[in-house]
Amino acid sequence: METTITLAHGAGGKQTSDLIAHVFKKHFSNPEFTADDAAVLTIQEQKLAFTTDGFIVSPWKFPGGNIGKLSICGTVNDLACMGAKPLYLSCAFVIEEGFPLDQLEEIATAMEKTALEAGIKIVAGDTKVAGKGQVDHLFITTTGVGQIMSEAHTSGANARPGDAVIVTGDIGRHGCTILLARNTYGIDAAVTSDCAPLWGAVESMFTTDNNIHVIRDATRGGVGTVLYEIAEQSNVGIRLNRPAIPVDPAVKGVCGMLGLDPMYLACEGRLVVFAPKKTASKLLEALHRNKYAQNAAIIGEVTDKMPGKVIVTTEIGTETMLPPPGGELLPRIC
Amino acid sequence: MEQVPAKNEMASHSPAWNIITSYNGPKVRIMEVCGTHTHEIFRLGIRHILPPAIELISGPGCPVCVTPVSFIDEALLLALEHHVTLCTFGDLVRVPGTKMNLADARSSGANIRIVYTPLDAYLYAKNNPEQQTVFLSVGFETTVPAACLAVKKAYADGLTNFSLLTANKTMKNAYRALKRSANAFLYPGHVNAITGTALCESLTQEGISGVITGFTANELLTALAVILTKTKEGRPFFYNCYPRVVTQDGSKTAQSLIAEIMEPCASEWRGLGIIPQSGLKLQPIYKGFDARLRFHLPALTGRSDPACRCGDVLQGKCKPTDCKIFGNRCRPEHPIGACMVSNEGACSAYYQYGGNL
Ligand code: SF4
Repeated sequence: METTITLAHGAGGKQTSDLIAHVFKKHFSNPEFTADDAAVLTIQEQKLAFTTDGFIVSPWKFPGGNIGKLSICGTVNDLACMGAKPLYLSCAFVIEEGFPLDQLEEIATAMEKTALEAGIKIVAGDTKVAGKGQVDHLFITTTGVGQIMSEAHTSGANARPGDAVIVTGDIGRHGCTILLARNTYGIDAAVTSDCAPLWGAVESMFTTDNNIHVIRDATRGGVGTVLYEIAEQSNVGIRLNRPAIPVDPAVKGVCGMLGLDPMYLACEGRLVVFAPKKTASKLLEALHRNKYAQNAAIIGEVTDKMPGKVIVTTEIGTETMLPPPGGELLPRIC
Repeated sequence: MEQVPAKNEMASHSPAWNIITSYNGPKVRIMEVCGTHTHEIFRLGIRHILPPAIELISGPGCPVCVTPVSFIDEALLLALEHHVTLCTFGDLVRVPGTKMNLADARSSGANIRIVYTPLDAYLYAKNNPEQQTVFLSVGFETTVPAACLAVKKAYADGLTNFSLLTANKTMKNAYRALKRSANAFLYPGHVNAITGTALCESLTQEGISGVITGFTANELLTALAVILTKTKEGRPFFYNCYPRVVTQDGSKTAQSLIAEIMEPCASEWRGLGIIPQSGLKLQPIYKGFDARLRFHLPALTGRSDPACRCGDVLQGKCKPTDCKIFGNRCRPEHPIGACMVSNEGACSAYYQYGGNL
């Protein structure tokens, strides 16, 4: 077998089946993994969550993960936010001609490992090869199905005054990691992505107390964007306590240098959870026992004042508005 | 994980906080001359704790905000008529020129690349020898050294396709020009880290007061408290409240690099007009890297939107909210004036942090 991806690998012939056998089947094998045109799944009469997401990340490999791990976590976490136990996943690859096979295998291995951890089965896939320069290394799209727990009724429109706002860990790490990995700033800092599958954390919350109003994963746009979305969807105000928001000191340092706010940097392993205060303190205990949520914290509360706005009590006790999300993140120039 | 202080702990226990909140002396106008200070002051909500007698003015400390319209027009001319590749810091592409901004020019086909340091522009020129590349060189003493280094490297390599459109500025004469706008300056810690303390210290002889400060809540509150205490005494003063970063001499290496490559010149500041000896241009031996000479650019006079009051905002003559088009025609996603472009601009900070919330 060749050592890099060629256009022939995407042509549907022998090389395609070799690639599937040697890379994908090897890592994604389970009884439902299909060789036919579609996977056949047996699901009893159940409420299902169904979601899809495309992944483009440059560089494809970064401290704390790679695009493969990311593509599983993203879909698993989207399902988890709906209170859905991840069941099945399909993945479609668009690979640039010339991409080294051993690196593809590295990505597949990460997918295998993450899927196993999250309890989701990869049951179908597709591979296309694009000419050199048409894609940046590779793109992955994953689609997932999950079974919604009967007690789960989460939605961005369910936040209510009196709810506490929880984040399940320190914020902004993935976005910061990618900025640094692109190496454009000449900054060296020990930051690793928070990329992680979060079904375990969600399940432990539901088994503790299922009176949970909102769960959202704070991916692109970061925690700030998600909070503004929820404030709007639920037509409530949100008040944050800035000193309570967990931020890794290295992330804080990088943001200080570049003039960025960690509230607007992407996370790939952090949830924002809204629940009545009494429930929230129990949830927090449960989260602290999960390895991806040890730094979970209550960062604020929901109010009926200034609906649609996010207000911050700053570290010196004053109140300001959290700047609404918008535009590209641009580092400052002086 | 970092231990966070309990809410309000710092606020209620700090002596600086008490000095500021209990101030009842005569009116004091304090001008911050650093975009990062402006941004942090808004982020921390420091304005909300000030008694009415204390007024904070966001002065001309953000390189984007003071870049004149004519500079953008020159850049547009280079991109659209001379078809050069422009390399620029990101924020600049949204600053309005007389007819359009650089982002508009990019949509109509101009080759405009966002870079993070001038060295990226130099590298681009080196790797694309057939392409004339111009770096839009804005910024104060903090960014000038990197631009100088880029020129020095291009000179050593004998590059003939790299040049600078300079609008770099130095602060000293701006303080003089703004002397009457404020009782004291919050001097920019980043700039002073390069220039040292001597320059600001000597300004006290001309009756100009100020304090160098850093960027944390504590550093900013301390500096304000020092200004209030010293203003009461009635004599011009200077203090370095950022000694962990700013030394007497500053960075000699950076200073000599600047002196080697550039020399002072008159410079136009948006809203303030031309201030003598407040800009930097290339030394004669490096004039081959001056885009204005290389492309024989004519002298341009730009025209800003007549409603925009950036100049008054920068001098503290009005608040952003006094501008008729603040928040309606002029918003961060559609800036009419430069102060709305960068998130360190006074108008943008006002808008983003909810004005007088
Ligand atoms: S609001 Fe816009 S137009 Fe008005 S002064 Fe500020 S930047 Fe200029």
